Amino acid sequence: MESNWALEHLQTIRTLMERSALYRRALAPIMLFAGFMGVLAAAVGLVLHLDSPREFGGFWLGTAFAAVTGALLITRRQALRDHEPFWSPPTRRVTQALLPPLTAGMCLGFVFVLAGLANAVVLTFIWMLFYGCALHAAGFFIPRGVKLFGWIYIGLACGSLLFLGIFRPEVDLSAYWLMGFFFGVLHLIYGAYLYLTEKGTNAA
Amino acid sequence: MNPEPFLQLDRVIHEKGRLAIMSMLAASPELSFTELRDALAMTDGNLNTHIRALQQEGYVAVAKSYQNNRPLTTCSLTAGGRKAFADYINLLEQIVRQNKAK
Repeated sequence: MESNWALEHLQTIRTLMERSALYRRALAPIMLFAGFMGVLAAAVGLVLHLDSPREFGGFWLGTAFAAVTGALLITRRQALRDHEPFWSPPTRRVTQALLPPLTAGMCLGFVFVLAGLANAVVLTFIWMLFYGCALHAAGFFIPRGVKLFGWIYIGLACGSLLFLGIFRPEVDLSAYWLMGFFFGVLHLIYGAYLYLTEKGTNAA
Repeated sequence: MNPEPFLQLDRVIHEKGRLAIMSMLAASPELSFTELRDALAMTDGNLNTHIRALQQEGYVAVAKSYQNNRPLTTCSLTAGGRKAFADYINLLEQIVRQNKAK
């Protein structure tokens, strides 16, 4: 019985320590940077007319790579400024939560583009779906409404895919406008909200 | 069963509320009073009492500052507190091992 008691105590301690070790780096600069990249890439795509699914897929995968690299550099700069390790346990946990849905979304997008299974608009919503799942998973280790932000992507993607699948509207949607709005403007709005409300706590 | 490890458990840390505070602080460089209160669902008075007890024992350091013109109280574990917490965990693990071996 005493062993059970001691085990329960250890379990409680572990849970509390995990809950305490939340990822607390300032998210506002990362979100604003991602939003800026989204809007910029959408504008460039529209101007250059990269309209074939392959061009579209390649262009946005490149943009995603640049956005992730930039986000990592911002995080590293914050860690250096605070004299803390960059690859801290919370950072590791957030990365581990983000990676599976992001990898799955990237692979599926790649396959769909190569096999010609999806047009650019459908691809946009598929990426939104996986991105929403990634945010939701990471939201377990990040405060500040990241889980809700993930649900917004999932809801919008599911709703749009259902609408497209059921009603098959004859609307000429530009995927670049959609990407610019969902991956650019939404990030900018969330980043601005965080910027205005974020506290000084900044440790991971 | 050898009762020795159980008797050696630090009584100050062993109390449920104080153990929760020590566990939270062990995983973070520092936490604000509000963060601790919200995470542990404690009242201001209750948390204050526990923190004062831990402070008197030299386990927790409390710093008062201002953030955006508002008072900010932050708590962190002292070196002594970190050691006492590690010793407490070691003893718990010892108790578990001892009972498994039986």
